[in-house]
Amino acid sequence: MIMKNIEVEILLVEDSVHDAELAVRALQKNNVAKHIVHLKDGAAALDFLFGTGKYKGRNLDNKPKVILLDLKMPKVNGLEVLEKICSNELTKKIPVVVLTSSKEHPDVEKAYQLGANSYIVKPVDFESFRKVVNDLGIYWLLLNQPL
Amino acid sequence: MLPVTFLNLAITIMDENKSNTDFFLDVDNKPHQQVAAGLDNSGLKRTEELSIANKELAFQNEEKGKRAAELIIANKELVFQNEEKEKRASELIVANKELAFQNEEKGKRASELIIADIELAFQNEEKEKRASELIIANKELAFQNREKEKRASELIIANKELVFQNEEKEKRASELIIANKELVFQNEEKEKRASELIIANEELVFQNEEKEKRAAELIIANKELVFQNEEKEKRASELIVANKELVFQNEEKEKRAAELIIANKELKYQNKEKEKRAKELITANRELKKAEDNIRKLNEEDIRKLNEELEQKVLERTAQLESANNELESFSYSVSHDLRAPLRAVSGFAILLEEGYNDRFDDEGKRLLSVVQENAKKMGVLIDDLLAFSRLGRKEINKSVIDMTELIENAIRELSISMHIKAKIIVDDLDAVMADATLINQVWMNLLSNAIKYSFNKKNPIIKIRSEKKDGEFIYSITDNGVGFDMQYAHKLFGVFQRLHDAEEFEGTGVGLALVHRIITKHGGRIWASARIGKGATFYFSLPVLQKNN
Repeated sequence: MIMKNIEVEILLVEDSVHDAELAVRALQKNNVAKHIVHLKDGAAALDFLFGTGKYKGRNLDNKPKVILLDLKMPKVNGLEVLEKICSNELTKKIPVVVLTSSKEHPDVEKAYQLGANSYIVKPVDFESFRKVVNDLGIYWLLLNQPL
Repeated sequence: MLPVTFLNLAITIMDENKSNTDFFLDVDNKPHQQVAAGLDNSGLKRTEELSIANKELAFQNEEKGKRAAELIIANKELVFQNEEKEKRASELIVANKELAFQNEEKGKRASELIIADIELAFQNEEKEKRASELIIANKELAFQNREKEKRASELIIANKELVFQNEEKEKRASELIIANKELVFQNEEKEKRASELIIANEELVFQNEEKEKRAAELIIANKELVFQNEEKEKRASELIVANKELVFQNEEKEKRAAELIIANKELKYQNKEKEKRAKELITANRELKKAEDNIRKLNEEDIRKLNEELEQKVLERTAQLESANNELESFSYSVSHDLRAPLRAVSGFAILLEEGYNDRFDDEGKRLLSVVQENAKKMGVLIDDLLAFSRLGRKEINKSVIDMTELIENAIRELSISMHIKAKIIVDDLDAVMADATLINQVWMNLLSNAIKYSFNKKNPIIKIRSEKKDGEFIYSITDNGVGFDMQYAHKLFGVFQRLHDAEEFEGTGVGLALVHRIITKHGGRIWASARIGKGATFYFSLPVLQKNN
């Protein structure tokens, strides 16, 4: 999984393998994104972003254009990951989209407070889910002008 | 002009003749002189002949001048005649015009005469007709005159006849006068007799009336007798019944008496028992008094200790409740999060299966797959509703003044986005209330969507929303003319997952009314409903008339 020179477009942090597969399929369907990195928990995400642990030596200039972050994950949860990303100079400029099943009000508020760029509730219905993920890819990869 | 030209021409001709003559004379004279100088005698003769010829010529010339003057006169005469002819010609033209005019006049007159002739001819015909009519009329008159004469002669005969008849009548009249007198006498006799008869009749009438009265009185008396007889019979039968009753009562009394004797014996026994019990109670009372005295001996400190213990228990219990609440909260959170993910996987992979492998499924395979998808969707809605319901339990109520009418109008507008509203919705001017606007909006959304849903199949669905103030409460109601429900299941209306209608017929998860119930109860209000199957339903809820944040 050491990708030194391949450009990473999207970092998907999602503990549900099936949700991840559905998201990846949705993003690849219309060739919105080709290079998607999927990680299953917050700890792995932090290692990847900061070149630690398993990802020691990764070229850190190769930053994802957008991070899609699930909130509820084992080990380090989404809000903790978000806090670390947004408080570190290296990563704070990467847009983070919180993508979760939870509509719970405190989560939304907390996520925005920590610096999430967007908060999306994954629709239960797959058609809607596919459309949301597709729209997200188009917006952050094609329309959004990064710093 | 013409005559003048003629005149000039005549004069010119005359002058040429003159000059020719002069020239001839000159030429003739000179050679004559030269010849005279050369010759002698023969010349003289020739001279005389010449002078004779000259004289002859002079005469001819004079004749010619006379003739010219005559010609001039003749010319003048001609000119004058010409002028006369022209005058005459113009006079003739005038005369011709006059004639033409007269001819036209004659023509007009002629046509007028023709018309007059026609008129005359018509009048003549009319006169002839009239004449022939008059002749007929005359004949008619003559005939009538003859008829009148005949009639006159007949009348004379008739008059004679009448005279004769009159005489006869006079004779007869005098005979009748005598007969009349006779009749008058007879009439007087008859009248006397008649008045006697009238008196006799009146007497009879009076007697008849008396008889009738008597008869009617007899009839009444008869009826009275009949009635009295019936009464007597009734009374007799009643007496028989009463007698039987008395006999029965007597028997009963005897039985009762025997029972009473037994009961008295029983009572005596019980009294003895009571007396025993009273003695026991007195003993017990004495013991109680002793115990009371012991309790009074307990001092205030003990009570304080007990109170403290109680407070401690309340705190412990509250903490337990709070932790239970938190547990519930985290439960609903995980329901929201953990139930959703597998559900999305079910629906998502079903769709991927359909997209990628549909051509390899037969119809039954496709149907089974769609059942999976439908149920995944349904479960999603269920989870959403359940979450909304559980979230409400934790939500703080935030009261403000609500304009109910405006709130409902907004709710209708919001609903019309997601569902087709066929019903006519009549919203009265509603009482404003102090409540949580978001939650009350939820209440109306649910009640309205129910009313719309359950009246959709009606021909003219109508929904009415009213409010009234009663006993310190505002009571709001929403009435529809939809399918209604059976009142025997009314108690199940507001329970979670309770449904009174077939899910095939009306969609829903059975959470909506439970949510409404929870919101209203949280506000200190009540909710209830009334309905008839097929006639519609009315849902009522009350909210207390409260002061702000009270």
